Amino acid sequence: MKNEKSAIVINSIKKSYKSGGNITHAVNNISLEIPFGEFLMITGRNGSGKSTLMHLMALLDNPNSGEIFINGEKVSDLHESQKMKLRLESLGYIFQEYALIQELTALENVMLPALMINKFSVAKKQAVSLLKKVDLKDKMKRLPSQLSGGEQQRVAIARSLVNNPKIIFADEPTANLDSVASKHILDIFKKLNNQDNITIAMVTHEPEEYIYASRIINLRDGKLNEK
Amino acid sequence: MKNEFKLPFYLAFQSIRRGRKWTLILTIVLMAVAFINLIFVSALFNGIVQGSNQQVINTMTGNIYMNPKQGTDYISNKNELIKNTENVNGVQAATSSFQIPARIEYNSRTGRWPILAINPTEYSKVINISEKMSYGKYLDNNDDDKIIIGRQIVGGKDVELNSTSLKGVSVGDKVNVIFDGFEKKFTVKGIFYTKFIESDTRAFITEKALKNIAPKMIDNATTVNVKTANNQQDAVLKKLQSQNPSLDVFMWSEAAGMMKSTSTSFTSINALLTFVGVIIASVTTFIVIYVDIINRRRQIGILRAIGIKPYIIVSSYAIIAAVYATLGILLGSLIFQFVLVPYFIANPFTLPIADAVLNLTWLEYISRVEIVSWVAVISGIIPAILVTRTKMLDAIIGK
Repeated sequence: MKNEKSAIVINSIKKSYKSGGNITHAVNNISLEIPFGEFLMITGRNGSGKSTLMHLMALLDNPNSGEIFINGEKVSDLHESQKMKLRLESLGYIFQEYALIQELTALENVMLPALMINKFSVAKKQAVSLLKKVDLKDKMKRLPSQLSGGEQQRVAIARSLVNNPKIIFADEPTANLDSVASKHILDIFKKLNNQDNITIAMVTHEPEEYIYASRIINLRDGKLNEK
Repeated sequence: MKNEFKLPFYLAFQSIRRGRKWTLILTIVLMAVAFINLIFVSALFNGIVQGSNQQVINTMTGNIYMNPKQGTDYISNKNELIKNTENVNGVQAATSSFQIPARIEYNSRTGRWPILAINPTEYSKVINISEKMSYGKYLDNNDDDKIIIGRQIVGGKDVELNSTSLKGVSVGDKVNVIFDGFEKKFTVKGIFYTKFIESDTRAFITEKALKNIAPKMIDNATTVNVKTANNQQDAVLKKLQSQNPSLDVFMWSEAAGMMKSTSTSFTSINALLTFVGVIIASVTTFIVIYVDIINRRRQIGILRAIGIKPYIIVSSYAIIAAVYATLGILLGSLIFQFVLVPYFIANPFTLPIADAVLNLTWLEYISRVEIVSWVAVISGIIPAILVTRTKMLDAIIGK
């Protein structure tokens, strides 16, 4: 299954872990196509393989077997340095725990991936613009420890967008946030999806968030149950 | 990629600037302690070796000494020789002594020790026996029946050569000096203790007393001792050798005797302990920086996840480690130079052979700085490489 109009295509992907003497099939022969501009939500119980699937699609982990295509290009066999380049330039990733560098301010955290590509002044301009977009213009000089959970997650979103990716992965981005902060984050995602046509794949546990999705898939024991 | 090469410095700078201050301070202090540990032992042993060498120079020979050639009993026209010697560039002072082949007798005990006839004032410009008087006083030029004797001749419970000593002579006692059938009573004016056995087995009388015992010898000397400026020893030695072909002209080290083997032993121990010190400093530095970097494992994982190249991450930790090392070395050097060195100058290590202060050459200092710096940088690079090679998600999740 390969489609150049798809942002992501995965074919028969498998990932298993050994734990003690047991083998756990976290992702068990999943095939999936995510078209450009889709807002996909991945749901399922704890241990169903949602995060593992997300890590594999975002090239943070390697499958045991199967193929992954991003923007029509097969990426599952790429060398780690090529995957890193792809992550830097074409993909954005948002962790549940924000994953900000504690010693950098909000602005510096957002600038960091851009500094790999652009001049300092350009990176700063991009970062300021994105922090405005996520309503953190007034707090961009604060360290992560001086921001609330919702604010930190918005910094993480801004960081994921700084190199203009067309695909964003978000692993339970609202899991640690209250309902107001969660809504704020989801509104930003919706806006990015609608206005900037960014493809979003997001893992969530919360049924009330499903209204933001254009498609919802459910995982159970590492297998796909499309809703 | 315009900022790619600047990025390690940027990350390192921000990490140090905004990292935990107490962790930074503790790391720098530990680096300083590791550095001091490395230089202290070398400095101490250097100090002992230097102290031992100075004992020979200051209490026995001067920097250079001249003897009559074998087959000749003494140097004649000593005053002219001293005058000519003092005119040599780099010579600070010269003096002479005449060794009398005599015995000293006290109560029923007797022994043969070198008895040197000197001009006390001139002699003290080269040899510092006058500063080593533990009892009584140094000689005056006009003393004609006074003698000062070394501790090894006097004897005593803790004296190394007690069995062959006069056992218990003290200041004010009279001893017999028996010389070529001639016998004269001298009053012990002082007892000196240099800590250098070969120096402490000598006795001194004045040239005025020699004149009474052997008037023909008054213009002669058995040794001429020369004090030079510190950096002029070799040049003065060459000059005096060419200027006095009829004499044996030696560097002080030729007379070091037992002190020479002691110095050699200390130099060997120093090399061994320095090696051990390097290992201890290396391990300490490695552990300190390794622990610091392993604690930043999650951060390294995040940097990798957002696309920062591993070499940038590793370089930034190498820079952080280099900064730790530089600040640790700086702190260690300040403590060493402005606390330890002055303290040990005021309170030297009192050893049986010499008093020692801390002494470190620039070459040794720089080599220790290099060792600690390289170990620190390697200690930064290795754990950073290890973390950048572990599974990214394990680093982030903290597995």
